[in-house]
Amino acid sequence: MDKKLSIMVVDDEMIIRESFLHWFEKYGHVVGTASSGAEALEKLETFPFEVLFVDIKMPGMDGIELLERVKADYPDTIVIIITAYGSIETAVKAMKMGAADYLLKPFKPEQLSLVMEKVSYQKKLASRYKYLKGRLEQVTRFDNIIGQSPAMEKIFSLIPDIALSDSSILLTGETGTGKELVAKAIHAKSRRANLPFIAINCGAVPDSLLGSELFGHQKGAFTGATHSRKGYLEVVSGGTLFLDEIGEISPKMQIDLLRVLEEKKITKIGNSQPIEVDFRLISATRQDLEKKIADGSFREDFFYRINVIKTEIPPLRDRREDIPYLIQHFLEKYSQETTKRVDHVSVHAIKLLKQYDWPGNVRELENAIERAVVLSKSRTLEIKDFSFLQPPTVPFSRTRSLLEMEQEHIRQILEECTWNVTKAAGVLNINRVTLHKKIKRYNLKGKT
Amino acid sequence: MDSKKQTIGILPFGEIPEIVPKIIAGNIIAYLNLLAEIIPPAENPDYALNGKRLQYDAGTILMNLESSCLNNYEKVIGILDVDLFVPIFSHVFGEAKQGGKYALVSLFRLKTNPDGSAIPSSIFYERGAKVALHELGHLYNLFHCEDKRCLMHFSGGLEDLDETPLYFCRYCTAFFKDALLR
Repeated sequence: MDKKLSIMVVDDEMIIRESFLHWFEKYGHVVGTASSGAEALEKLETFPFEVLFVDIKMPGMDGIELLERVKADYPDTIVIIITAYGSIETAVKAMKMGAADYLLKPFKPEQLSLVMEKVSYQKKLASRYKYLKGRLEQVTRFDNIIGQSPAMEKIFSLIPDIALSDSSILLTGETGTGKELVAKAIHAKSRRANLPFIAINCGAVPDSLLGSELFGHQKGAFTGATHSRKGYLEVVSGGTLFLDEIGEISPKMQIDLLRVLEEKKITKIGNSQPIEVDFRLISATRQDLEKKIADGSFREDFFYRINVIKTEIPPLRDRREDIPYLIQHFLEKYSQETTKRVDHVSVHAIKLLKQYDWPGNVRELENAIERAVVLSKSRTLEIKDFSFLQPPTVPFSRTRSLLEMEQEHIRQILEECTWNVTKAAGVLNINRVTLHKKIKRYNLKGKT
Repeated sequence: MDSKKQTIGILPFGEIPEIVPKIIAGNIIAYLNLLAEIIPPAENPDYALNGKRLQYDAGTILMNLESSCLNNYEKVIGILDVDLFVPIFSHVFGEAKQGGKYALVSLFRLKTNPDGSAIPSSIFYERGAKVALHELGHLYNLFHCEDKRCLMHFSGGLEDLDETPLYFCRYCTAFFKDALLR
C-alpha cells in the first residue's frame, strides 16, 4: 500500500470505530468515522472518502441500504462490509450489490491487511482505467460535443454525412456554442482526418497580417519579411482550414479567398509563381451574413462559395436539457485537471444553471463550472458556488417604446431597493406619490 | 528527574520471565541508542479480562496506564504474558496508539510455532524484542512500512514476524531520528 487512502468507518459501536481508527492511523491513512448511515452520507457530501468500512447491523439505515446509496451516488467509492458470524448470507448479498469484500468480526490482523492490499490494487486499476479512458476520449474527438437534445441529435446525425463530402461548410451560431468543436468533429470524420486541421480566428488577426498568414510571403516581400514563410493555405495541404469569424474579413480578402476557392491555387505575397493547394474550408460566424450582404459589407459571390452547406449551432438556452450532461462533463474534466474531488452538483444548483440564460453559451458554462470547482470547499457544488452568475438583464432594444423602457427601469430600481418605495423614489428622483401612481399604472408587483 | 525524560520504561505485568524485559531493554539501548529502565512489576491486569473472549482488552489496559503516574519516562512499554485483543481483531501481538506514550507487548502467542510446536528460547526472546521495538516505533509516530526488510513492516502472523529483521529501513531510521529531535 504505497498510497495513503481516505477511509471512513461506519459503525454504531464507538469501540469498533476507534479500533479501526487506531489501526488505520498506523498506516498514515486519513480516517473518518460515522455512527450511522445518515451521518456517513452527510460526511461523504463534504469529503471524498475513497474507502468505506460499513457494519451491516446498524439502527436506522442498515449497512446494505447505505451500500446501495453509496454505490448509486459515489460509484467509485470502495465499500467493505463488516459483519458478525451468522450473517454470511447478508454479506454475500452485499457483495452482489457492489461491496468489494467483507470481514467477519473479529478478524485476524492479517485478514484486514489482505483486504487493504486488495483495495489498493483496485484503486490502482481504477486510476489506470480513468487515465486510459481520458486518452481515448481525446482521440475520439467527436465525443467532446455533449448533448442529447433534439437540436444536437440533428447535428450529430448531420456530421458524418457532411464530413464525407468536400463542400464548403458555414457554421452559424452565437459565440461559445461550440462551432470549432463541430468543425473538428467534421474533420475527424472526413477522409482528411489524418491531415492537418488548422483554425484561424479572422476577427483576432488584423487584415494586413491575415493575407500573409493565409498565403505566406517571400523573403523581402515587405518591411520585416526577413524570411520566406509558408501560409496556412499551403501548410494545411490536404487537411481542413477552419476560418472562424469569417464575417470580420475585409472585402479585399474576400476576393482573394474567393479566387483560391475557385482556382485551388495561391500566390505567395512577393512571388508570382502560383502553388496548387488542396483543402476543405469550414467557416464560422456569429453574424448575420445575409444582412451584411444587404448593407454591402460582405460579398454575395463569396458568401455562396463558403455557404454550400449551412449548419446552425443552437444557443445553449434553446437546448437547456443538455445542461446537466455538460455540467457532468466539465465537472469530470476540471476535477481531474485540478485534482480536486468535486463530483456532484446539487439538484437546486442544477435547477439554477438550467434557468440561467447563458449569453456566453457552452463556453460560459464551462468557465462557470471551472471557477466553481476551483473555489469549492466541498465535493458537491451548491447554489452559493454560482453566486457570481449575473441575473439575466433585459437587452437594449431599439424597438422598445419609451413607456416600456420606463416600466422596466422602475421595476429594476424597485427590485434593487427591495420594494422600499420611499428609497426607490429617492433613486429615481421623483416623489413617492408619483412612483405609487406609476406602479399602479404599470401594474408592477414584487416577487412573492 | 530530567535525566529520565529520554528514558524508555519497561513495565512487566504479573509473572513474566525476568530475562524478557532485560532483553527488550538491551535491544532498545543497542539498536535505538536510547536509555531503557525496567520498572518494578505491576499486577496482572485482571480488570481488562473479557469474559466472553477470555482475552485481555488491550485498549482498556492502555487507558488504565494513561492514568498511572509514570511521568519520569518518555515512553513506556508494558510486557504481559496474557492473550491481548482489540475489538476488531481476534488477537494482537502488541498494541500502541500512534504517537502515544504507552504500548503493550503480549508474549502469549510468541512462545510456540503456529502449529503449537516448541521453539528455541532465543527465537522467543527475539520475537518479544521485535514486537516491543515495532510498537515503540508507533509511539514515535512511525507508520507501517512497505519494506518487508523493515521492523515497521506489519507482521500479521508469526511467520511474518520471524522474517522481519530487528532493525528499521533507512527511511524509518531517518523518521525515528527526526522524531527524537522534536
